[in-house]
Amino acid sequence: MQEKSMMFYMIRSELEDAVGVENVSTKEIERAVYSVDYFWLSRKWQDAGKQGPMPDIIVRPGTTEEVSKVMKIANYYKIPVTTWGGGSGSQGGALPVAGGILLDIKRMDKLIELNTEAGYVTCETGMIFATLEDLVNEKGYSVMHLPSCMTCCTVGGALAHNGIGILSTKYGKMDDMCLSLEVVLPNGDIINTLPVPKHSSGPNLIPVFVGSEGTLGIMTKAKFKIVRQPQTRIHHAFLFSDIHVGYQACREIVQAVKPSIVRLFDEAETVSIIKKIIGFEKRGSFLNLTLEGYEKIVAAELEIVMDIAKKYGAEDLGTEYGEKWFQNRITFFYPDHIMDLPQMFGTLDTVATHDNIEKIYWAMKAVVEDNFKQYGVRFISHSSHWYDWGAMNYSRFIIDNPPKDPEEALRVHNQIWNAGVRAALANGGVLNDHHGVGLKLSRLVKEQYGPALQVLQALKKELDPNGIMNPYKMGL
Amino acid sequence: MISQNALHHAEKCRFCWMCRHLCPVQHQTGKELNTPRAKGLLLSMVHKEAQQFDKDMAQAMYECLLCDACTNDCATGYQPPLFIREARTEAVVSELAPESVMHLIDNVERTGNIYGVEKPGFGREGTDVLVYIGEAAAVKAPEMAENLLKLLEKAGVSAKVLEKEPASGVMLGDLMGYTEEVRQMAAVCAKALNETKLPVVVLDSYDAEIMTQKYPEWGFEIAAGVTTATAFTAKLLAEGKLEAKAPLGVTGACHDDDRLARTFHEFEPVRRMAKAAGYDLTEMFNHGKLAKSCGTAVAWGYMPELVTRIAGGRWTDLTRIGCDTMLVANPETWQCLSLCVPEGCRLVDLFGALL
Repeated sequence: MQEKSMMFYMIRSELEDAVGVENVSTKEIERAVYSVDYFWLSRKWQDAGKQGPMPDIIVRPGTTEEVSKVMKIANYYKIPVTTWGGGSGSQGGALPVAGGILLDIKRMDKLIELNTEAGYVTCETGMIFATLEDLVNEKGYSVMHLPSCMTCCTVGGALAHNGIGILSTKYGKMDDMCLSLEVVLPNGDIINTLPVPKHSSGPNLIPVFVGSEGTLGIMTKAKFKIVRQPQTRIHHAFLFSDIHVGYQACREIVQAVKPSIVRLFDEAETVSIIKKIIGFEKRGSFLNLTLEGYEKIVAAELEIVMDIAKKYGAEDLGTEYGEKWFQNRITFFYPDHIMDLPQMFGTLDTVATHDNIEKIYWAMKAVVEDNFKQYGVRFISHSSHWYDWGAMNYSRFIIDNPPKDPEEALRVHNQIWNAGVRAALANGGVLNDHHGVGLKLSRLVKEQYGPALQVLQALKKELDPNGIMNPYKMGL
Repeated sequence: MISQNALHHAEKCRFCWMCRHLCPVQHQTGKELNTPRAKGLLLSMVHKEAQQFDKDMAQAMYECLLCDACTNDCATGYQPPLFIREARTEAVVSELAPESVMHLIDNVERTGNIYGVEKPGFGREGTDVLVYIGEAAAVKAPEMAENLLKLLEKAGVSAKVLEKEPASGVMLGDLMGYTEEVRQMAAVCAKALNETKLPVVVLDSYDAEIMTQKYPEWGFEIAAGVTTATAFTAKLLAEGKLEAKAPLGVTGACHDDDRLARTFHEFEPVRRMAKAAGYDLTEMFNHGKLAKSCGTAVAWGYMPELVTRIAGGRWTDLTRIGCDTMLVANPETWQCLSLCVPEGCRLVDLFGALL
């Protein structure tokens, strides 16, 4: 689209008619704001004084009907549409790399229904997740989705990449919490998934859209289950001799009881991040674990946890460090605590069954440390989301002095990602656990799915034949 | 364009989204531009010559209440209002500030207040304290000012008010940053206050902020000390110079004004006043240090429609918890919340409630 063409103004006028003049903007500074999200590369680009990808028009719909109108216009003119919630994604998923329309949904932030008796809450997806949690907390309940980005992500953003929160081991991911969705399809049609998520009435539609990162439609309303705030929540920390023993113990714990938090740190992260934030000084593999619910059940679960920890020779660190970690769980992500430029960094999170997860840890560590030692790369990891069948690794690479030239830095960055992700794929892992694919990993989607990708391609072709939804993302 | 210190804060905030949920302007507009990170990012882009500081950017720097919730939430201590305020100086100096803002600046330079009217006088003689009424109270909440003075009289405090009370400089400081003009205005005010040799009781916490935070930095501290009217009233209650009233059987929630909450971290005196006035207390979400702003007098001056919506958001916070009585002790919050009192709700001036 050329800004100076008559057609540009014709389309802008149509969009203004759909959502109101005040909710359409082509101002340079507003467009520039959307050129940087939480993706390291977009930040590096900005830091180097280079202009990142900008949309041509920003549109801020206030209702589902307005979203529908915008999509009908975009689909007719075949204009790319990138949906933006909080912009706090780390994978470049919200970057408007194809220009076109940037659909910022934050005006759609209404609470629709809070039903404590039935146990659900329905809201528009432009609501900041922390706001939703606050509103539910006011009634003594919780969605129990507490990610680190909670204060800045929208509900839609969390759904789009199938996000996860720190209490996931007990309460699950977004796709476990979501009961139903309203979605605007690329052709502008408004659809609803079935009223409940579990049934034998045909394939469930929720997973089609949750995790699809804005490539198949725009989720405009969501219903989530809510639970009563727990009667008790206790934190306990342990120290294992090494990560290998830690993996074994945690597997046994999650197959026996249902903790809300299980965070096992490798030796490198124990002596760096954990030491810095909560002041824990010893060497080994640190675990903080949280149990919550009814006091009687929690007491019984704790007893089992203590037995398993003892069996694996863990040092009992008591409640202090676990509580400290919980209190500081967001502190890790503020400036000067979290990694930042000029460092190069990335989170190679993946998930696998219990028999593979440790293999992936060692394979990824080796491939990163061995192949990129000339850059002084560091590798740290923790495992923070567990299932009875497996666990995830939240492995990070950090380079303190990466190449200054942004194009060279991009090349090194992608080489590390390629190597790390391929190590996961070769050992039974997947591209990503909970940050999504976005632009960052789009090129690797084909390697992950193989011929199975045609299922997603067929969906994409049918739902979005003009390919306007979040182009170049998700490998679609 | 902005100082190295302000730029450092902008560069730290440009990639951080953590305080977004507390920004009342972002909540009401839904604009990504209206987040501290966006404003920091833009100033960083200007520094790197990737963007120009133009009229649109200047306008963006005024879509902020300077409420400081972002600073108070930051685990590291970065301060978005620091770079936003300095960007406003650049906007004014470069003649890029919105006309609505320039109009207010003209008003302040002409009359000392954004309203462009001669400040009503509350002058009286007294020997114990000097009460500083302030611009917002004098023009927009004169009943609150009168109520404070009556309350002091009731407590046996001999209160003096200057016949011609100079402006503190806070309004101009919010509009154009801490420039030489603001410093000169503050110097005149400090001189007048110091000449009385009396401790100063300040009704508007916005005035109290500049007097306690900036005046000393500029070299003209108020020698006899500055106390907020709320803290002073609570002290009178504690000393038994004011009597508590019988319970009213009414539940109310205190709205913590931005600067009292954020600069002074003063929460208890207002609640003590409310209890003494006979109210049962409940709390809105985001009260205390992270209280959601309901707008400011200055912001109302150049974006009245948005401030009315922001104030409406605070009323929504109140009614959502099943309460209908908002308790305030600040003339600026009184002014903003008065813009849109929902049917069936009450806005209560706590100084008046204690009479």
